[in-house]
Amino acid sequence: MPLQVAWRMLVDQKGRTALATGGIFIAILLVFIELGFFVAVPQGGMLIYDHMRFDLLVCSNRYLFQAQSGQFPRARLAVARTVAEVKEASPVYLGGAKWQDANGGLKVDISVIGIDPQAGIFAVPDIERQSAVMDRPDTVLVDGATRSLFGPLRAERVVDIAGRRMTIGGVYKLGTGFLGLGIALASEANFFRMFPERPPDTVNLGLVSLKPGADPDRTAEALRAILPADTQVFTRPELAAHEVAYWTTRTATGLIFGSGLVVSFVVGIMVLYQTLATQITRQLPQFATLKAIGHTNRYLDAIVLLESFLITAVAFVPALGAALLIYALIRSETLLPLTLNAPQLGAVFLITLVMAAASAFLSLGGLRRADPAEVF
Amino acid sequence: MTVAETHRRFVDPRFVPLALRNLLANKGRLVRSSAGIGFAVLLMLVQLGFERGFFDASLATVRQLDGDLVIISRSNYRFASADPFPRSYLATAAKVAGVLSVSPLYAAWQSFSWKDPAGDQSYLVQAFAFDPDHPAFLLPGVKADAARLKEEDAVIVDRRARRFLGMASGTGKTEINGRPVQIVGGFALGPDFMSDGTVMMSEASFARLLPGNRLSAADLPVEFGMVKIGPGADPSTVQQALEAALPHDVRVLTRPQLIAFERDFQADVSSAGPIFWMGTVVGFVVGMLISYQIIYTDLSDQLPQYATLKGMGYENSYLVRVVIEQAALSALAGYAPAWLACLVVYRAIGAVSLLPLHMTWELTLLSFSLTLGMCLLSGVLAVRRVIAADPAEVF
Repeated sequence: MPLQVAWRMLVDQKGRTALATGGIFIAILLVFIELGFFVAVPQGGMLIYDHMRFDLLVCSNRYLFQAQSGQFPRARLAVARTVAEVKEASPVYLGGAKWQDANGGLKVDISVIGIDPQAGIFAVPDIERQSAVMDRPDTVLVDGATRSLFGPLRAERVVDIAGRRMTIGGVYKLGTGFLGLGIALASEANFFRMFPERPPDTVNLGLVSLKPGADPDRTAEALRAILPADTQVFTRPELAAHEVAYWTTRTATGLIFGSGLVVSFVVGIMVLYQTLATQITRQLPQFATLKAIGHTNRYLDAIVLLESFLITAVAFVPALGAALLIYALIRSETLLPLTLNAPQLGAVFLITLVMAAASAFLSLGGLRRADPAEVF
Repeated sequence: MTVAETHRRFVDPRFVPLALRNLLANKGRLVRSSAGIGFAVLLMLVQLGFERGFFDASLATVRQLDGDLVIISRSNYRFASADPFPRSYLATAAKVAGVLSVSPLYAAWQSFSWKDPAGDQSYLVQAFAFDPDHPAFLLPGVKADAARLKEEDAVIVDRRARRFLGMASGTGKTEINGRPVQIVGGFALGPDFMSDGTVMMSEASFARLLPGNRLSAADLPVEFGMVKIGPGADPSTVQQALEAALPHDVRVLTRPQLIAFERDFQADVSSAGPIFWMGTVVGFVVGMLISYQIIYTDLSDQLPQYATLKGMGYENSYLVRVVIEQAALSALAGYAPAWLACLVVYRAIGAVSLLPLHMTWELTLLSFSLTLGMCLLSGVLAVRRVIAADPAEVF
């Protein structure tokens, strides 16, 4: 049985095999990390949507991505509410403003989100807990991931936002996504106190929630039929595809992490090939002996292929563990939604198998050198 | 060949380039090992290049500013942030000794909506305005086409802007903020992480296109004051005189100071830096693994030769030196083709991503030191194999 021989050969020199496994472990880890970035970096654009409660998004037909959303008449939301399946349509206002400490200093750009605190728009415990705080006049909540440039983010600190004196009511933890360096969250009334020149009858986003049992796709169709051409309607999957496509294709993001992924794959093959070739070189006497007792080249090839798969499978497990650890670390450092889902896991495993097979075939050449006459 | 010559060529270790011969002995192996090390080098170079490219892209506009000194609002925290000051400050600055000329640079990042000439969609772009007689940028295209900006609603555009903006041709008509404009020329700047493209125009056009603007060109708030100093004037003396003459809510920076100001901001907020540094470290670790495996395999292949040398009486120290030399040569053999391949990769990725990826001396030196470091380290780790070589086993 080639499998048994392959296994024996691997466990015979435990130290060497451990070293080789270590090399392959790094190669697989590299693929995990690059794939994670490739998938997660564009997802940064979905961070805030991912923590909002809605089934359908109504927005301007000029909507590009979250930070360039455009505005549409608030009256469209009233129209949306007339559709039978729609439970609620809540407005979200977005604005850019300057943030400055009450005692002067730098004027830093901040994004301001205006919502009805009681509408339960954010599925973020910190925000829900502090919804009453947002109702206080001239009070905002700030995102804890707001950069240090903005100064200490403690409650009761007084700052100027868009030239108006505002009080930080509290801090919540969500992350700023790709919306800028900092985010302040305000009630509608407070939002318009900061942006008095903005027409109050236009909104940036309309969050539509549906009645239980309603089908999002069909309701989206109904809304598209009833709403004029100045708006468009996204279901959640459509929105995710739209935002990710924006960041992947319209910016350099996709290319950079895509090329990183390709490079990691090639490097993986190189590492695996080198490791296997070294193994074969070291085991050449054993292979020559097998040849001498009459085994065919095919049999030896099968052993190498199995060795390759075995060693990769063994390296895969700790690589997965390390990847999960690194993902968690990067998640907490950058707040990128770096997670491992089943398709990604499958993809890495598939890539690993392809790498193992490719490098095994590359290293078969060394095997032909096994000459029984040289051993004895 | 005399006996002495033969002895010198084949026996005296000082004259036998043994490491080089070992490297060249098996051409197939040389190609394989160069490819392996080369890929690790390429990985590091690409990651380092991206890191620099991100940085250079964010500094490209600032580096192209044409002025010896720049007046900027004291509360401003980055170049691309609207934080204007009154235009009257420029007249004050012009009177300071040593100042040759002061011209205003207007800018907008959040209020110019550019319509793709070939489509319907509009996008936010970065907009600059200046006196066409005193173009505020060093870009050759700006200098060449600035005079045409005196025409009503004429703009020049960034030919290297992201392609969906439709700016590449530098000609034609489109709309900005719903108003028709004529594209009269172009320059090559490239996008950064704030803006996808850039338009430039005269003060008069800027005042007309700015949404909700009720000011004439002469009353527009100024974003930057571009100061040129007279011949022979000392920049830091003029800088101090300007600081003293101007109100406290602005400050005066030399060009290098302005670039450093922007660099500090980008380094502080960008998360691109750590990602690519991590990539470089991974490249180094992977390179270590590959080069260790290669050097180890090579040594195993050549073990009989080393054992023979030992049998002939050579010291371990000599063999160690050969191994280390060979490791250094492997580094070189892997580095050279990877460096050349990287030029092609930079060009290809740069053209598609519009990132300024350039091979520099600094990058070359840094990546070569990393390569040499990983190969030497691997050589040191693998050398035990040679020290353990037993002549008795060979025969």
